[in-house]
Amino acid sequence: MAIPANLELAAHGERPRSSLTRLYLEHERLAIGGGTLAAVLLLWEALGRSGLVDPLFISFPTQVAQAGWQLSHGRDFWNDVEVSASEFILGYGAALALAIPLGLAVGLSKRLQYMIGPFVDTLNAVPRVTLLPLIIIWCGIGIWSKVVVVFLGAAIPILINTQSGVKTSEARFIRVARSFSASRLKIFSSIILPGTVPFIFTGLKYGAGRALLGVVVGELYASTAGLGHMIADAGNTFQTDVVFFGVLVFMATGLIVVALLDAVERRFEKWRPRPR
Amino acid sequence: MTDAANGRRNGMSSTAPMRAANDELQMPVALRWYLVHERVILGTLVVMLFLIGWEGLERGWWADMLRPLLGASAERLQLKPIFISSPTLIAAAAFRMFFVTGEIWRDLAWSGAGYVLGLGLAIAVGIPLGLAGGWYRRFSYAVEPFLSALNATPQVAFLPLIVVWVGTGLGQRVLIIFLLAVLPLAINAHAAVRTTDPRLVKVASSLGASDWRLLRTIILPSAVPFLLAGLRLAIGRGMIGVVVGEIYGSAAGVGAMINQAGARFQTDKVFVGVLTIIAAGVILVEIVQRIERRVDVWRAPA
Repeated sequence: MAIPANLELAAHGERPRSSLTRLYLEHERLAIGGGTLAAVLLLWEALGRSGLVDPLFISFPTQVAQAGWQLSHGRDFWNDVEVSASEFILGYGAALALAIPLGLAVGLSKRLQYMIGPFVDTLNAVPRVTLLPLIIIWCGIGIWSKVVVVFLGAAIPILINTQSGVKTSEARFIRVARSFSASRLKIFSSIILPGTVPFIFTGLKYGAGRALLGVVVGELYASTAGLGHMIADAGNTFQTDVVFFGVLVFMATGLIVVALLDAVERRFEKWRPRPR
Repeated sequence: MTDAANGRRNGMSSTAPMRAANDELQMPVALRWYLVHERVILGTLVVMLFLIGWEGLERGWWADMLRPLLGASAERLQLKPIFISSPTLIAAAAFRMFFVTGEIWRDLAWSGAGYVLGLGLAIAVGIPLGLAGGWYRRFSYAVEPFLSALNATPQVAFLPLIVVWVGTGLGQRVLIIFLLAVLPLAINAHAAVRTTDPRLVKVASSLGASDWRLLRTIILPSAVPFLLAGLRLAIGRGMIGVVVGEIYGSAAGVGAMINQAGARFQTDKVFVGVLTIIAAGVILVEIVQRIERRVDVWRAPA
């Protein structure tokens, strides 16, 4: 234990091993991770089924699976999914469409940054979900209040990352391009924009997390439909299995969205200008 | 000027800083003063315009001004105070709540207690968890699935469950703040151990230093900047926890105050609450950033 393998000292202790051990060592990460996960699920199932802890409080995995199966055969659940998905897509889409161009503009123009800076900094300092009671007054408890929360949540990280991407463009490249009398448009499209792309994707990743948060909080707080509404309702009526299933759906959505954006971010990672 | 002309004749434009320096010499004093303070001037101007525009919407200045032009439809430019309130109404409400009735102090104390406890719990659990995960590879394999699942979930979705488990009291807020704040701390502590200079560790352990000694003298000092960065993130996440935990079902606290004022359309009070939370967040982050700058000095050169 004294010498952790991650510091690359383990190689010195390599000895010939049986093939079974080698197989285990190659997939150790998967084995340990999967093993712990299975153990926790089993323990949970045992606690819930034996009645040691009231299933009303913690439910158990098979009950959650059953609840999920039943829900996915009803119309209400799919309606909730549709509502939540449209809130996410509309709000996030609007954030994309506005925050990226605005971020580019703010990054390019010092004066615009001076003008918009105070507002962006203020909004960045506050969890945007704090504005929810105000947004409810303005937009009601329907889908639009959630779209606005999602938009605000996602727009700020996207804007800030895009802006800092523009700011970190390689000054040398710009100088070279300028001395070869490249037009401003050419400099923007061939130097600044490509260097900004990785930053934009980083912003998109943060923004997606914030957008999902907005959907959940908005629907928990005041709504008539949506997955957050379903969770809140089920919690109030002690249908713990339904709550867990709803949380799982959000978890799966988060995992998928993060994995997708991670893949895209990695793809463009080599476009990132190196800091100097 | 002659420089620039020469440059152009040679088929090359002169470099930007040079041109700027030339221009600056020929500028009148007032303009130069403006350019030096441009950031403050432009920022203040826009914020003032925004505030005046807002105030005018509530007081009907713009409706009065445009009535000759637009006729009756100008009335749309006057909005009800319950809808948008106004800067002066908000200032008055803030003065009342802070200094006359003093009602907000009780809410602040209540929120602060939950925040400190939740963040403290997150630090007490998150940092050791992250350090252990960074040091013991197998331990990190075991907890990884749970942490990445939790990381991908919007943690506030656990709120209804937490309410089922511990009710809507202090425990609910402590738990939701903990859930939100623990991940950045654990992830950064993990990264801190993994990026410790392996040569230092190798030297120390070949000289027979114990695990504890290594942790205390090599890993922790080099981890401090990471831990502070994690703390800065955790502070922001914790803020979300305070607000969401309180608006979802709590009797006291700034978030609860916002919620109740919103339900009664007391828009000015809502704004006071939001501004209070903004101020608290800015102050906390500023404190951590000060500490970070201090610590940066003794961060080992790469």
